[in-house]
Amino acid sequence: MSVSNFRKAKEKAFLIAVGITTLIAILPLFHIIATVLMNGLPPIVAKGPVFITGTLSEGGIGPAIVGTFMLTFLSSLIGLPIAFLVGVYAYEYPKSAIGRLTKALLQIMLEFPTILVGVFVMDIIAIPMGTYSAFAGAFALAIILMPYVAVYTHEAMRQIPFTYREASFGLGLTKFKAVFRVLVPVSKRGIMTGVLIGMAKVAGETAPLLFTTGGLYQSYPHSISQPVGAIPLLIYTLVQSPSASDHAMAWGASLVLLLIFLAVFIPIRRSLKEVKL
Amino acid sequence: MAQKISEKVSEILGKIKTCMGFQKKGNKVDSFKLITSPAVLFVLALFAGMLIVYFYNAMPAFNREGLSVYLKDVWRAVENPSEEYYGLASAIWGSIYTSMIAILVALPLSIAYSIFVVDYAPKRIKNTLIITSDVMAGLPTIIYGIWGAFVLVPFLKDYVMTPLHRYLSFIPIFSYPPITGFSYFSAGILLGIMVTPFASAIIREAYQMTPFAYREAAFSVGMTRYEATKVMLGYIKPAMFSGVILAFGRAIGETVAVSLVIGNTFNLSANLFAPGYTISSLIANQFGNAFIYSHMLPVLYAAGLALFFIGLLVNSAGLYLLRRWEKNVSI
Repeated sequence: MSVSNFRKAKEKAFLIAVGITTLIAILPLFHIIATVLMNGLPPIVAKGPVFITGTLSEGGIGPAIVGTFMLTFLSSLIGLPIAFLVGVYAYEYPKSAIGRLTKALLQIMLEFPTILVGVFVMDIIAIPMGTYSAFAGAFALAIILMPYVAVYTHEAMRQIPFTYREASFGLGLTKFKAVFRVLVPVSKRGIMTGVLIGMAKVAGETAPLLFTTGGLYQSYPHSISQPVGAIPLLIYTLVQSPSASDHAMAWGASLVLLLIFLAVFIPIRRSLKEVKL
Repeated sequence: MAQKISEKVSEILGKIKTCMGFQKKGNKVDSFKLITSPAVLFVLALFAGMLIVYFYNAMPAFNREGLSVYLKDVWRAVENPSEEYYGLASAIWGSIYTSMIAILVALPLSIAYSIFVVDYAPKRIKNTLIITSDVMAGLPTIIYGIWGAFVLVPFLKDYVMTPLHRYLSFIPIFSYPPITGFSYFSAGILLGIMVTPFASAIIREAYQMTPFAYREAAFSVGMTRYEATKVMLGYIKPAMFSGVILAFGRAIGETVAVSLVIGNTFNLSANLFAPGYTISSLIANQFGNAFIYSHMLPVLYAAGLALFFIGLLVNSAGLYLLRRWEKNVSI
């Protein structure tokens, strides 16, 4: 009897421990959101709309916001077509040596240290160009973006029932037409998810931008061959400054970044069963 | 004349196409391969190019210092080039040390999370928990960084590090006085929080895959839920292992969040509360001014090369083990 009581007590303790530990695991997110709101709202409210539109000396992060959108857009422009084709290739040739190599490489790139990409792009683009530039930053981000899009494209197309393939080849379509006219449209949704998740991810990246975009916060960017700023990069710089007013700016910028991220990420995430990050 | 040239050109082009496998029998070009291959080649070339760039730029460091660039713990950045000497041992140590702390934090959290989500959470809460974890995985790392530097570090310093140091400083790893709070410990905890969702995703998926029959069997012989869970966890041990390896890979590559909380000091010590450096935070911090010195830049590329190989090795090992386990389970 006492043995079974002991076992029951152990079970109770276990259940409580699991519940509490789970709470601890997700608590940081809520604490982060709460502190970012608490510390980020006052500087934004104090400055008003200037915080969103003004330059850094006016007390705003306008150029950084524009820079982030510019970099995200440009990196998608560079990365999406390539990544899409790579994902399709990996789907079409799952058994060939190159196909398998590509697939393994994409998985590894998904986990790869992002700072290495930044230094690499500085070496092949920023140094030959002689200046930091939006293009170099966008290229670095494109390298981060590609594995997300490619892996999602690959996964989405793998979900298509094999009979669809048979049917399209049965109609006498060439491989090109079967893939791009039938199979890709069928898996459109999955591919779009990959695109959005990749974009949400690169919009928040800092390390690849450290040595590639330079940073521009006193005026709005006007050319892709010139340095631009980005919100994460600005936060990184401001946090390291000793002045308290810079820290307040950093919190405000973090709130803007957090809102952009949540606005993109939550709707995608809710419309799906699962994601891979 | 012009016609002859164009004939010649198309003949050569045809030969090239046949060689590269774009052209099948007959005269039809496989336009699928023609379009996708350049993209694949581009990605492969990018990866190879990365390796070459790091290797090429790191060569001077290997020529000058040999392998001791990785083994020695010195950082003499001085104006006189002949006196400059750099060793990366403390940064490599810092990377490994903080990532170890991170997985020690992440492992229990992610196991408990997986058990709770799969076994006990009602459907509504379950969905919310999974979304929360995914948001944590995708959250911009700089936000973890600013939270870590301004909230987590002071908290850990006041409520964890100071008491531990005060009462347990006879234990060597607690002996360093936590003056600023920026330390291996803070970095490890922050990294642990950051990689928990990645480990959770893998472990949860694996735990969900355990056959229901096993669970029924466990309960039918009268096991408590605790005992049944213990058995199930034994079943997914390999997946847990690969989850830990992949989390380690993420932690070791993280840059900005770590560099804001680790203190950025050259230091090779096991003291949890001592400030340190990691490879990635070293590159982030020193790269900008490395150009002033004559021999520092190649050393930083050598550091990048080390990170490159660690990342490659750790991630491919983790992915390989995970795939192998998945294959065994699905059969």
